[in-house]
Amino acid sequence: MSELELTTDRTQRIKDVLWALTFAGLVAMLLRFVFGLGATTNLDDRVPWGLWKIFNMISGAALATCGFTVGFLGHVLHLKPFDRMVKPAILVAFLGYGASLFALLFDIGLPWRFWHPFVHWNIHSFLFEVFWCVSCYFVITFLELSPTLLERLGLAKLRGVLSKAAGVFVIIGITLSSLHHTSLGSLFLVTPQRLHALWYSPIISLLFIISAIGGGLMLLALIKTLHSWWYDPSRVFGGTMVREGVVCKTCGGDSENGATPEGPDLHVVRALVTAGAWVLSVYLLLKIGDLVLRPEARAALLAGTWESVLYVVELLSAAILPVLLVLIKPVRRSPYALAVTAGLAAFGLALNRVDVGIFGYFRDAGELYFPSAIEWVITFGVLAMAGLAFFFIIENFSVFDDRWKRLADSELKFSSSFDRLTWVWNHRLMTGLERASLIALIVLPLAWITLYPPFLESTPPDTRAPLAVDAARDTLRIDANRDGLDAVFAHTAHKQRLGGEESCVNCHHLSMPADRATPCSECHRAMEAETVIFNHEQHLAWVAEDKELGGWIPENQSCVECHSGQARSAASAKACMECHREDMHAVDPANGRLAQFAATSYHSAMHNTCIPCHTENALTQNRPELDRCTTCHQFGVPEGLEENLQMRELVEVRIRRQ
Amino acid sequence: MIGMLIDVTKCVGCEKCVAACVKANGCDPAAADRDRATSPDGLSADRLTTVQPIGWDHFAKKACMHCLEPSCVSACLVGGITRSENGAVVYDPDKCIGCRYCMLACPFHVPRYEWSAKVPFMKKCELCEERLADGEIPACADACPQNAIEFGERDELLRLAHQRIGENPDGYIDHVWGEHEFGGTSVLYISDADLAELGWPSPDTESIPHLVEPVMHATPIVGGSVLASVAGVNWIVRRRMQQMHGPDASSNGHGGGEQ
Repeated sequence: MSELELTTDRTQRIKDVLWALTFAGLVAMLLRFVFGLGATTNLDDRVPWGLWKIFNMISGAALATCGFTVGFLGHVLHLKPFDRMVKPAILVAFLGYGASLFALLFDIGLPWRFWHPFVHWNIHSFLFEVFWCVSCYFVITFLELSPTLLERLGLAKLRGVLSKAAGVFVIIGITLSSLHHTSLGSLFLVTPQRLHALWYSPIISLLFIISAIGGGLMLLALIKTLHSWWYDPSRVFGGTMVREGVVCKTCGGDSENGATPEGPDLHVVRALVTAGAWVLSVYLLLKIGDLVLRPEARAALLAGTWESVLYVVELLSAAILPVLLVLIKPVRRSPYALAVTAGLAAFGLALNRVDVGIFGYFRDAGELYFPSAIEWVITFGVLAMAGLAFFFIIENFSVFDDRWKRLADSELKFSSSFDRLTWVWNHRLMTGLERASLIALIVLPLAWITLYPPFLESTPPDTRAPLAVDAARDTLRIDANRDGLDAVFAHTAHKQRLGGEESCVNCHHLSMPADRATPCSECHRAMEAETVIFNHEQHLAWVAEDKELGGWIPENQSCVECHSGQARSAASAKACMECHREDMHAVDPANGRLAQFAATSYHSAMHNTCIPCHTENALTQNRPELDRCTTCHQFGVPEGLEENLQMRELVEVRIRRQ
Repeated sequence: MIGMLIDVTKCVGCEKCVAACVKANGCDPAAADRDRATSPDGLSADRLTTVQPIGWDHFAKKACMHCLEPSCVSACLVGGITRSENGAVVYDPDKCIGCRYCMLACPFHVPRYEWSAKVPFMKKCELCEERLADGEIPACADACPQNAIEFGERDELLRLAHQRIGENPDGYIDHVWGEHEFGGTSVLYISDADLAELGWPSPDTESIPHLVEPVMHATPIVGGSVLASVAGVNWIVRRRMQQMHGPDASSNGHGGGEQ
């Protein structure tokens, strides 16, 4: 072991950021439950799955595959460089799955029912399988990790039992993992009509597990490199490295050659990256095969849409570049190049999952989804918590190395330094709570202020649909057939202009018995046809016949059936709909018009109400704009009509057509 | 096997069915009114049915299609959505965990979520389960002034649909939407305007459970073979290591400690 002394703690700044994200995340988590999903996320009925499910859960699980792959290589096959990475791999898997499941608690609508799938089964559902495998696998990773934790915590007997069972755990873990990684892909098989053709592949489950295996190995290589960079650069970056903050005292403690240009652990990183690249090359071949065999995917790629660009970027980053880079010899020798390769592949893997789960649905949803601030903050808050747990565990347990044992022997491994944030001398690996508390004091109120959802809410436009007529509304949009060619009607302004509350009768019939707020569509039922509404004579006969009142003559008696004692008073009459709604239907054009008994078409009813008054005022007040279609139809007029057509001409056109 | 037949030629778009639906399902009328303008297709947790325009002068009511092989039923991980004996696809809010996979799985974009609620549930048409139990017909079919919504046995409705097309071949496109699409739906449409505009697929489109459940059912086989092969490899490797290095060889040599 080379004796290194770091003058500064390289993890300090990272931990600061993680603490800040954690505290902001806690605030966001609270707000999420106080205000509900709708107010705090940008999810909606068109985009029901967003950042938390796709990025935290599906990308997260994909990146945490190293737990079972390295477990297989190291623990089952006993392959040499990988066996040393089993513990870190299990830790990454444990934290990765833990973070994913934790983030899901914020995503699902009723998180206190997270245990339901254990009790209520649907064995036909992919999500059911994913849930069972992921939660069981999370327990397995914990059991696999526990001997490492128990090494320090005591309980040697339990540790012995768990260590003995490790082989069984690994095998069960591998089975569960291969099942849920395929099923995470199969989840999207249920959306053949919705997912973009580039990503909707019949072999999506295979693509998911192969890419996850490759990308997971790459992420572990990156973490190993970073670990070395933070705590012991010589192990990966080589004995000669003397950079800011790092003083190499005695190089080559375990190497006979003295200062070696290559770190003693670089071959581990190289093995991981190379293994990852082999798997990714298989993935690349599958992807190419998938493209070649699916004509709709080829067409979509050549269409040159933003999806095809994204697809190319994703594939370059996830597979093509990492595989090509590993083929270059200097890349395999440079810890920096290896880290870049691993980082690219891990990024590409995460991007692939986001492409499948989010970007691939944009076209079908007809809208773009960008996560809200609270979604982002919870996403990164959860990851930051996992990061802090990661630092805590690797510094206090034998995961990568036995640092904690040596720290217990000799107090100082980092030399003391003045910390400008807390204004104290810090000399410990874990700087302690005062620093975190200070960050909390700054971040908590700031996050509360910036994330508080009522500040972010936008008010919906004031115009409402005029279907259930509400006389109190200022502005109505009249668009009976909802084709967008609506008329904007300033209801309140018209009411005031025409004489206040008494003026309703100017436009509204108010003639439907016992009803003051009858929608126009009540009688003017068809957009372009007349509607039979009421035949009084016939009613007299019908009522008389129905009630056995003796035919036509005793009409006074039959009146009472509708007009409750006072004949011919609208106020006292029954509403038509009380007796029958099914009798109202559009006039059959073949039978001609029933002039006195038919309501005009909705279209005519609207126009005949507005146009005469508008036309008159256009002339008398010399305001020609009142006489234009576009005065009311601000969003366009039907095809074949000019925008600035005068209303009178329109009426003439309509008359000529009829 | 109940269902509904919606005759697009009869619908005038008055949305009486929506008002009746809002009332029957206890939805918030103000929210229903607002969602009509803000929801892309008019459906929301407060508007379980809506009327969609097709072109300039045609309308089609939209709600849950009550598929014969529903994708949502197959997708729900807690079995919270089931297809009842009469053919209605119904939802059990007591099981739901709020994962929203049904919303992703539905090929018609029907299930909606109560986004503004603090304890949110999925909402969709359940063919007026309670009204049916009381011997009434669904509220929308009851309310339609045009008789554009016929309620009854699906077989009867299919016959009626073909009869109407046969009697007036010029007035309809010769196709009953929902007869075969996605394995068939309980809600059927006849129309003189092409419903492909509303996102209907070609009639030979397979039902989604039919497409994915064979993959799901392969799980035990995949799991079993992975388990067997990994355990087998493990056994072989251990045995070889024991033969080469003695009985303790397999329990050391890994663990990441760097001394």
